[in-house]
Amino acid sequence: MAKSKAGLLQGTLDMLILKALSLGALHGYGVGQRIAQISGDALKIEEGSLYPGLYRLEQRGWVQSAWDVSDNNQKAKFYKLTRAGRKQLILEERNWERLAGATMKALRAS
Amino acid sequence: MSRIRATINSIRARLHHDEIAREVETELRFHIEMRTRANIEDGMNPDEAQRAALQSFGDFNNVKSACCEIRRSLPFNTSLLRMGLNITIAVLAGVAALWTVNTPHHNLPSLLSQLGFVAVLTCLFVVARRKQKPHRQ
Repeated sequence: MAKSKAGLLQGTLDMLILKALSLGALHGYGVGQRIAQISGDALKIEEGSLYPGLYRLEQRGWVQSAWDVSDNNQKAKFYKLTRAGRKQLILEERNWERLAGATMKALRAS
Repeated sequence: MSRIRATINSIRARLHHDEIAREVETELRFHIEMRTRANIEDGMNPDEAQRAALQSFGDFNNVKSACCEIRRSLPFNTSLLRMGLNITIAVLAGVAALWTVNTPHHNLPSLLSQLGFVAVLTCLFVVARRKQKPHRQ
Protein backbone atom coordinates (compact mmCIF):
# COMPACT_ATOMS: atom_id res chain seq x y z
CA MET A 1 0.00 0.00 0.00
CA ALA A 2 1.31 3.45 -0.88
CA LYS A 3 2.14 5.65 2.06
CA SER A 4 0.30 8.94 2.29
CA LYS A 5 2.80 11.77 2.62
CA ALA A 6 2.20 14.71 4.92
CA GLY A 7 3.15 18.27 4.00
CA LEU A 8 5.15 20.34 6.46
CA LEU A 9 4.78 23.67 8.18
CA GLN A 10 7.88 25.88 8.23
CA GLY A 11 8.52 25.48 11.97
CA THR A 12 8.26 21.71 11.66
CA LEU A 13 10.72 21.67 8.77
CA ASP A 14 13.20 23.73 10.81
CA MET A 15 12.89 21.25 13.67
CA LEU A 16 13.46 18.31 11.32
CA ILE A 17 16.53 19.98 9.85
CA LEU A 18 17.92 20.45 13.36
CA LYS A 19 17.13 16.81 14.13
CA ALA A 20 18.85 15.61 10.94
CA LEU A 21 21.95 17.65 11.75
CA SER A 22 22.00 16.42 15.36
CA LEU A 23 23.15 13.11 13.91
CA GLY A 24 26.20 14.65 12.18
CA ALA A 25 27.31 17.31 9.68
CA LEU A 26 25.68 17.08 6.26
CA HIS A 27 25.29 19.01 3.01
CA GLY A 28 21.81 20.22 2.04
CA TYR A 29 21.06 17.19 -0.13
CA GLY A 30 22.17 14.94 2.72
CA VAL A 31 19.81 16.75 5.10
CA GLY A 32 16.89 15.93 2.78
CA GLN A 33 17.99 12.30 2.55
CA ARG A 34 18.39 12.06 6.32
CA ILE A 35 14.92 13.50 6.94
CA ALA A 36 13.42 11.03 4.48
CA GLN A 37 15.31 8.22 6.20
CA ILE A 38 14.36 9.09 9.78
CA SER A 39 10.72 9.73 8.88
CA GLY A 40 10.45 6.41 7.05
CA ASP A 41 9.91 8.37 3.82
CA ALA A 42 6.54 9.55 5.13
CA LEU A 43 7.09 13.31 4.93
CA LYS A 44 6.80 15.21 1.68
CA ILE A 45 9.34 18.03 1.44
CA GLU A 46 9.83 20.21 -1.59
CA GLU A 47 13.59 19.84 -1.70
CA GLY A 48 14.30 23.50 -2.49
CA SER A 49 12.55 24.60 0.70
CA LEU A 50 15.33 23.00 2.73
CA TYR A 51 17.76 25.74 1.75
CA PRO A 52 15.91 28.85 2.98
CA GLY A 53 15.34 26.74 6.12
CA LEU A 54 19.06 26.03 6.49
CA TYR A 55 19.94 29.68 5.88
CA ARG A 56 17.35 30.83 8.44
CA LEU A 57 18.79 28.45 11.01
CA GLU A 58 22.29 29.72 10.28
CA GLN A 59 21.07 33.29 10.66
CA ARG A 60 19.75 32.40 14.12
CA GLY A 61 23.07 30.81 15.05
CA TRP A 62 21.61 27.29 15.36
CA VAL A 63 23.68 25.81 12.54
CA GLN A 64 26.99 26.80 10.99
CA SER A 65 28.28 26.02 7.55
CA ALA A 66 31.61 25.51 5.79
CA TRP A 67 32.61 24.55 2.27
CA ASP A 68 34.27 21.18 1.91
CA VAL A 69 34.60 18.38 -0.60
CA SER A 70 31.82 15.81 -0.88
CA ASP A 71 32.27 12.04 -1.19
CA ASN A 72 32.22 12.40 -4.98
CA ASN A 73 34.96 15.07 -4.86
CA GLN A 74 32.70 18.03 -5.53
CA LYS A 75 32.69 21.31 -3.68
CA ALA A 76 29.76 21.26 -1.26
CA LYS A 77 28.57 23.27 1.69
CA PHE A 78 28.30 21.28 4.89
CA TYR A 79 26.16 22.24 7.86
CA LYS A 80 26.55 21.32 11.48
CA LEU A 81 24.54 22.00 14.58
CA THR A 82 25.88 24.59 17.03
CA ARG A 83 25.52 24.28 20.79
CA ALA A 84 22.66 26.80 20.64
CA GLY A 85 21.05 24.68 17.89
CA ARG A 86 21.22 21.57 20.05
CA LYS A 87 19.51 23.42 22.90
CA GLN A 88 16.88 24.73 20.49
CA LEU A 89 16.20 21.22 19.22
CA ILE A 90 15.54 19.99 22.77
CA LEU A 91 13.20 22.93 23.32
CA GLU A 92 11.34 22.33 20.05
CA GLU A 93 10.98 18.61 20.74
CA ARG A 94 9.38 19.41 24.11
CA ASN A 95 7.04 21.98 22.54
CA TRP A 96 6.11 19.54 19.79
CA GLU A 97 5.30 16.79 22.28
CA ARG A 98 3.15 19.18 24.29
CA LEU A 99 1.32 20.38 21.16
CA ALA A 100 0.82 16.85 19.80
CA GLY A 101 -0.49 15.70 23.19
CA ALA A 102 -2.93 18.62 23.41
CA THR A 103 -4.13 18.06 19.84
CA MET A 104 -4.72 14.35 20.46
CA LYS A 105 -6.62 15.20 23.63
CA ALA A 106 -8.82 17.63 21.71
CA LEU A 107 -9.47 15.13 18.93
CA ARG A 108 -10.47 12.37 21.36
CA ALA A 109 -12.88 14.59 23.24
CA SER A 110 -16.44 13.49 22.77
CA MET B 1 19.97 45.24 15.24
CA SER B 2 22.20 48.23 15.97
CA ARG B 3 22.60 50.92 13.35
CA ILE B 4 26.32 50.12 13.04
CA ARG B 5 25.66 46.42 12.39
CA ALA B 6 22.91 47.25 9.92
CA THR B 7 25.33 49.56 8.08
CA ILE B 8 28.06 46.90 8.05
CA ASN B 9 25.58 44.33 6.70
CA SER B 10 24.37 46.72 4.04
CA ILE B 11 27.96 47.45 2.89
CA ARG B 12 28.77 43.74 2.87
CA ALA B 13 25.62 42.99 0.88
CA ARG B 14 26.66 45.52 -1.76
CA LEU B 15 30.28 44.32 -1.85
CA HIS B 16 29.53 40.61 -1.89
CA HIS B 17 26.30 40.60 -3.89
CA ASP B 18 27.69 38.54 -6.78
CA GLU B 19 29.80 36.32 -4.58
CA ILE B 20 26.78 35.38 -2.44
CA ALA B 21 24.65 34.67 -5.53
CA ARG B 22 27.44 32.48 -6.95
CA GLU B 23 27.83 30.54 -3.70
CA VAL B 24 24.09 29.95 -3.38
CA GLU B 25 23.86 28.84 -6.99
CA THR B 26 26.79 26.41 -6.55
CA GLU B 27 25.09 24.91 -3.53
CA LEU B 28 21.71 24.53 -5.20
CA ARG B 29 23.23 23.12 -8.42
CA PHE B 30 25.08 20.55 -6.32
CA HIS B 31 21.76 19.42 -4.88
CA ILE B 32 20.17 19.04 -8.30
CA GLU B 33 23.19 17.15 -9.57
CA MET B 34 23.06 14.74 -6.64
CA ARG B 35 19.33 14.19 -7.15
CA THR B 36 19.86 13.65 -10.89
CA ARG B 37 22.52 11.02 -10.20
CA ALA B 38 20.21 9.27 -7.73
CA ASN B 39 17.43 9.28 -10.32
CA ILE B 40 19.77 7.78 -12.93
CA GLU B 41 20.75 5.09 -10.44
CA ASP B 42 17.04 4.39 -10.01
CA GLY B 43 16.80 3.67 -13.74
CA MET B 44 15.81 6.97 -15.37
CA ASN B 45 17.55 8.20 -18.50
CA PRO B 46 19.70 11.37 -17.96
CA ASP B 47 17.17 13.85 -19.42
CA GLU B 48 14.30 12.38 -17.50
CA ALA B 49 16.45 12.24 -14.35
CA GLN B 50 17.33 15.92 -14.57
CA ARG B 51 13.75 16.96 -15.28
CA ALA B 52 12.56 14.99 -12.27
CA ALA B 53 15.33 16.50 -10.12
CA LEU B 54 14.32 20.04 -11.09
CA GLN B 55 10.68 19.24 -10.46
CA SER B 56 11.26 17.81 -7.00
CA PHE B 57 13.45 20.81 -6.17
CA GLY B 58 10.71 23.36 -6.82
CA ASP B 59 11.17 26.87 -8.21
CA PHE B 60 14.96 27.23 -8.50
CA ASN B 61 14.99 31.02 -8.93
CA ASN B 62 12.62 31.61 -6.02
CA VAL B 63 14.70 29.41 -3.75
CA LYS B 64 17.89 31.11 -4.91
CA SER B 65 16.61 34.63 -4.27
CA ALA B 66 15.17 33.65 -0.87
CA CYS B 67 18.55 32.17 0.10
CA CYS B 68 20.48 35.20 -1.18
CA GLU B 69 18.25 37.54 0.77
CA ILE B 70 18.73 35.62 4.03
CA ARG B 71 22.45 35.18 3.38
CA ARG B 72 22.93 38.92 2.91
CA SER B 73 21.39 39.60 6.28
CA LEU B 74 23.61 37.11 8.11
CA PRO B 75 25.49 38.73 10.99
CA PHE B 76 29.15 39.61 10.56
CA ASN B 77 31.16 36.46 9.88
CA THR B 78 33.49 35.83 12.78
CA SER B 79 35.71 33.37 10.90
CA LEU B 80 38.27 36.09 10.10
CA LEU B 81 38.43 37.06 13.76
CA ARG B 82 38.91 33.41 14.68
CA MET B 83 41.66 33.07 12.08
CA GLY B 84 43.35 36.14 13.57
CA LEU B 85 43.13 34.59 17.02
CA ASN B 86 44.65 31.34 15.75
CA ILE B 87 47.53 33.18 14.12
CA THR B 88 48.12 35.19 17.30
CA ILE B 89 48.20 32.01 19.37
CA ALA B 90 50.59 30.35 16.89
CA VAL B 91 52.92 33.38 16.94
CA LEU B 92 52.82 33.50 20.74
CA ALA B 93 53.64 29.78 20.86
CA GLY B 94 56.57 30.33 18.47
CA VAL B 95 57.90 33.28 20.47
CA ALA B 96 57.55 31.32 23.69
CA ALA B 97 59.43 28.39 22.14
CA LEU B 98 62.26 30.66 20.92
CA TRP B 99 62.43 32.39 24.26
CA THR B 100 62.67 29.02 26.01
CA VAL B 101 65.55 27.89 23.80
CA ASN B 102 67.48 31.17 23.92
CA THR B 103 67.14 32.07 27.59
CA PRO B 104 70.47 31.35 29.37
CA HIS B 105 70.82 29.82 32.85
CA HIS B 106 67.90 27.44 32.64
CA ASN B 107 66.95 25.46 35.66
CA LEU B 108 64.72 22.43 35.45
CA PRO B 109 61.53 23.81 37.10
CA SER B 110 61.51 26.98 35.00
CA LEU B 111 62.26 25.00 31.84
CA LEU B 112 59.35 22.65 32.61
CA SER B 113 56.98 25.51 33.31
CA GLN B 114 57.99 27.18 30.03
CA LEU B 115 57.48 23.92 28.13
CA GLY B 116 54.09 23.55 29.82
CA PHE B 117 53.18 27.04 28.70
CA VAL B 118 54.09 26.19 25.10
CA ALA B 119 52.11 22.91 25.32
CA VAL B 120 49.01 24.75 26.57
CA LEU B 121 49.25 27.27 23.74
CA THR B 122 49.66 24.49 21.20
CA CYS B 123 46.59 22.68 22.57
CA LEU B 124 44.58 25.90 22.38
CA PHE B 125 45.67 26.34 18.77
CA VAL B 126 44.67 22.78 17.84
CA VAL B 127 41.28 23.08 19.60
CA ALA B 128 40.59 26.41 17.88
CA ARG B 129 41.47 24.91 14.48
CA ARG B 130 39.26 21.85 15.05
CA LYS B 131 36.25 23.99 15.93
CA GLN B 132 36.37 25.84 12.63
CA LYS B 133 35.23 23.04 10.34
CA PRO B 134 32.16 20.86 10.64
CA HIS B 135 33.16 17.24 11.22
CA ARG B 136 31.51 14.94 8.71
CA GLN B 137 30.33 11.48 9.56
